[in-house]
Amino acid sequence: MPDDRYYVTDVPPETPEPADQPAPWTTTTVVGKRLPRVDGYERVSGAAVYTADVVLPDMLYAAVLRCPHAHAMVRKIDTSKAEKMPGVAAILTDKSPGADVPWFNARTGPLSRLFDPHCRYEGEEVAGVAAETPYQAWDAVRAIAVEYEVLPFVADAEDALKPGAVAIHQGGNRSGDVTRYARGDVDAGFAAADVVVEQIYSTACEIHAPTETHASVARWDGNRLVVWDSTQGVYPIQSGLVQLLKLPSSSVRVIGHYMGGGFGSKLSVSKHTVIAALLAKMTARPVKLHLTREESFLAVGNRPPDTMTLKAGVKKDGTLTALQMTVLGTGGAYPGGGVGSVDWVVRDLYTCPNVKTELTDVFINAGQARAFRAPGHPQGAWALEQMMDQLAERIGMDPVEFRLKNVPMVSQATSGTPPYSSTGLKACLEEGAKRFGWSEARKRARTEGPIRRGVGVAAGLWRGGGGGPPATIIVKLFADGSANLNMGASDLGTGTKTVMAMVVSEELGVPLEKIQIEWADTATTQYATASGGSKTVPTESPAARAAALDVKQQLLTMAAAQLKVTPEELVLKNGEIVSTADSSKKVAIAGVNALRGRGLIVGVGYRGPNPEGKVICPFGAHFAEVEVNTRTGEVKVTRFLAAQDSGRAMNELTYENQTQGGITMGLGLALTEGRILDRSQTGKMVNRNWHDYKIPTAMDVPVEQIVIPIDLHDYQANSTAAKGLGEPATVPAAPAVANAIYNACGVRTPDTPVNPLRLMGLLAASKKRG
Amino acid sequence: MVPGFTYVRAKSVADGVRQLAAPGAKLHAGGTDLLGCLRDGVFKADRLISVSGLKELRGIAPVPAGGLRIGALTTHAQVVADKTINERYRALAQASAAVASPQLRNQGTIGGNLCQRPRCWYFRGDFHCLRKGGDHCYAEGGENQYHAVFGGHKCYIVHPSDTAPALIALGARVRIAGPGASRVVPLASFFVGPAKMITKETILEKREILTEILLPAAEPDLRSSYRKVRARGSFDFALAGIALALLIKDGKVARARVVFSGVAPVPWRSEPVEQAITGKALTPDVVAAAAEAGVKGAEPLEKNGYKVPLLEGIITESLLALA
Repeated sequence: MPDDRYYVTDVPPETPEPADQPAPWTTTTVVGKRLPRVDGYERVSGAAVYTADVVLPDMLYAAVLRCPHAHAMVRKIDTSKAEKMPGVAAILTDKSPGADVPWFNARTGPLSRLFDPHCRYEGEEVAGVAAETPYQAWDAVRAIAVEYEVLPFVADAEDALKPGAVAIHQGGNRSGDVTRYARGDVDAGFAAADVVVEQIYSTACEIHAPTETHASVARWDGNRLVVWDSTQGVYPIQSGLVQLLKLPSSSVRVIGHYMGGGFGSKLSVSKHTVIAALLAKMTARPVKLHLTREESFLAVGNRPPDTMTLKAGVKKDGTLTALQMTVLGTGGAYPGGGVGSVDWVVRDLYTCPNVKTELTDVFINAGQARAFRAPGHPQGAWALEQMMDQLAERIGMDPVEFRLKNVPMVSQATSGTPPYSSTGLKACLEEGAKRFGWSEARKRARTEGPIRRGVGVAAGLWRGGGGGPPATIIVKLFADGSANLNMGASDLGTGTKTVMAMVVSEELGVPLEKIQIEWADTATTQYATASGGSKTVPTESPAARAAALDVKQQLLTMAAAQLKVTPEELVLKNGEIVSTADSSKKVAIAGVNALRGRGLIVGVGYRGPNPEGKVICPFGAHFAEVEVNTRTGEVKVTRFLAAQDSGRAMNELTYENQTQGGITMGLGLALTEGRILDRSQTGKMVNRNWHDYKIPTAMDVPVEQIVIPIDLHDYQANSTAAKGLGEPATVPAAPAVANAIYNACGVRTPDTPVNPLRLMGLLAASKKRG
Repeated sequence: MVPGFTYVRAKSVADGVRQLAAPGAKLHAGGTDLLGCLRDGVFKADRLISVSGLKELRGIAPVPAGGLRIGALTTHAQVVADKTINERYRALAQASAAVASPQLRNQGTIGGNLCQRPRCWYFRGDFHCLRKGGDHCYAEGGENQYHAVFGGHKCYIVHPSDTAPALIALGARVRIAGPGASRVVPLASFFVGPAKMITKETILEKREILTEILLPAAEPDLRSSYRKVRARGSFDFALAGIALALLIKDGKVARARVVFSGVAPVPWRSEPVEQAITGKALTPDVVAAAAEAGVKGAEPLEKNGYKVPLLEGIITESLLALA
């Protein structure tokens, strides 16, 4: 099973470092503008071809038989009836040749295989069918008779550790060792505190639910495999398939192209992709496998649920003296990072000399977790940022002022406590509070009558978001002055293609409509890591700039020979190469003879290393205004403002889109979303559909969503001065809402989601209902 | 994937009734609930008899003797847009507007809304529950946060309709076509709770079709409303809801009909609330007493206790709003 980390540090660049880092941009004419997507028309009109749209001649459709029990052993599979059904071309089970593919790696080796008869979660794969139509494939799936021995199950992290709990794996229900971190002396810190508060918080399990469910199309050309995949990274899918199917890289081509969201659930190879490839091999025909929404709720990832006990000490003047956190979480039935990074905000967001954390990850009988938009951070922020407000209230300090008092300039949790390359946390809080009208809004809080109004703030960071090598991008300039941008990165729908084209346009002056983009194809585009970790812009945009600069350098050298001047005195401006010494000496791009003769210039750009001894980290602060109906427990978010420091804002429009998406997702965590397992009877997920699993709708988000880019250009980080945005934009959203709810009605909400079910109960219990 | 079925368009209501006699036949109108049920395997249908093309079942028209006739195929969007309904039968306009999402209101019919199957996630999921012919109710000891606090008996579904409580409060009757002459029944007696029948929610027999809804003439002093609380702002069913139709004369409630949604297996008429306000002005004290009366006898399960204060909250809010 491939390594599915999606942000990595300490990886040396695979390519030579560029001789010089390009100079910072003094002013920009394209970068930073509010520009619509370069592929907006294709996406909106339906012309864009997503994996689900791929139709190949002679193609079959596949469907997967999944275990309907939370925990069961497959005793017998009878496919005889299904095999005879019309249109059925192949049935793949554990016994089929080539199906013995190891899956779910742990330190001890693989824990399972493609069709392991020991099914450890509802939705685990049991068999695959390929047929002429999707309907025939599903009819055949329904006709396969499976004899299951239903086993006792565990559906809750706490239950998993109870004595006598059913062991999901031979070694028991602990997933890895307990993770511990400590600095300073928390006991001394609590002793020195004027106020100590302890509280248990929890966040429910969330499902990624991208608009486009997971899909793969597989076709073999002899021994070579071509896979169209809805993925965040074609190269990780390629390397995964290479490992699993034991093929050379040159025999596996993965094409990504258009895709409709992933949020971390599409970073590495899933079983459905391998099933499609094996069925295509068996039938010698292309096979498409497109998961249903219900399958995507069960089997392709989630944000792990976490229970967090946080104890904090503070002095009356607002100095934090100690933070102590214990976490119990679960990444499902296989190692899924159930507690990964949950404590990072506790360790690093505020200045605190004494910090201790202990994180325990356990197995339960549920689908494996996957990276989900800022893994661990929204959970940790849900606890820490409510705690910050609880402390501020106890010492009688304004929540914004209290946070400002504890803004760090160094990454305390990183070895050697290096400084951040840039930190806009202070600016996010200050500028955000000013633009939100924080002080006035606090005074306006309505504390009488059934409908209460309140405001809340929360801050956050994302430990990834710096990006780094490797990345290789090629830019080609044609003789007519149009260009081609060639990059391996996926565009999840976030605007990656648009931003990269803007960088090329900035350097070469080629208008966006004259830049053709090739992307996300291992056969034709260059190496890129997966688009995840909010690292795509800071990783790829410096490489795009370097590639464009390489083109520019070659172009100016050609023009210099033609104009009989030195390249150093030439600049490229509005499609012309002009001498700075004598402006009469100029030539249009299309007039450069050497370029015409050669046909095109190829420029190659590599991502150079990150600065040594610096931590690159994006920050944000969110402000929410809510109305709480104390008679019903309904919460209406009436106003929301997000101030983000992600370095340079590359495109204000995509920046706003990303941030509003982050806010919406945060509101889902805070108010509406949560996987519900039938804990006491069957362990099955009862809300695996769009109605019962409640993604926020347009009616659940405020009309007024203001996004403030704190446009700090971080040239220490990289040559485009940008940091990542996608993940930090969701980290503080949920606790900002929780703090606003408390401000409105005086009820603390430690558990998500804070829907009327939960809040009505809390209001009634605390006798605060209207 | 929806399993295969035969699709037949009925030429008339009588033809539809005839065709429904076929084994495995089900009626199709707007299809928003039916197709979901077939896809999820809640029940099977070999043959769908569609009445969706029958124009005579569509539209809203005054009845000569007073009142309104609403064809069963009239969509929620049409109900919401109707001027008379907005002015005289406000509870219905508010209820139809609170149904599902705009797309579903454009497609879903008011007749279908009355005949829809429950939304209990055990009933909808692959659990062989009592209502599907199984041997026990999973909700009783399971994840019952959305379930009934009134009227549960072996099965604890809540009735999913928003329009049904509004229509009952407004005194609606429904016409049912069948093999013989059509019959007209008060909507209040159209629904059947689990104590009487566990595998269906209405009195409709296999070969019967609900064809129209009849509203009585609206009295000039009638005030009505529908209020729904849900876990999400749109595309969601009621955690609890309340339909009110009050005749208010000289500042006092002369007649009251109060019906809850989301708390019982059928639209739940609350006589205690009606009695608490009839003959009285809706003062805060009277309203508080009515709210208390309204939740008396509620029997919450393990996880839906919040419905009791929630119901009190909306009784209070809705009565004060009509005062």
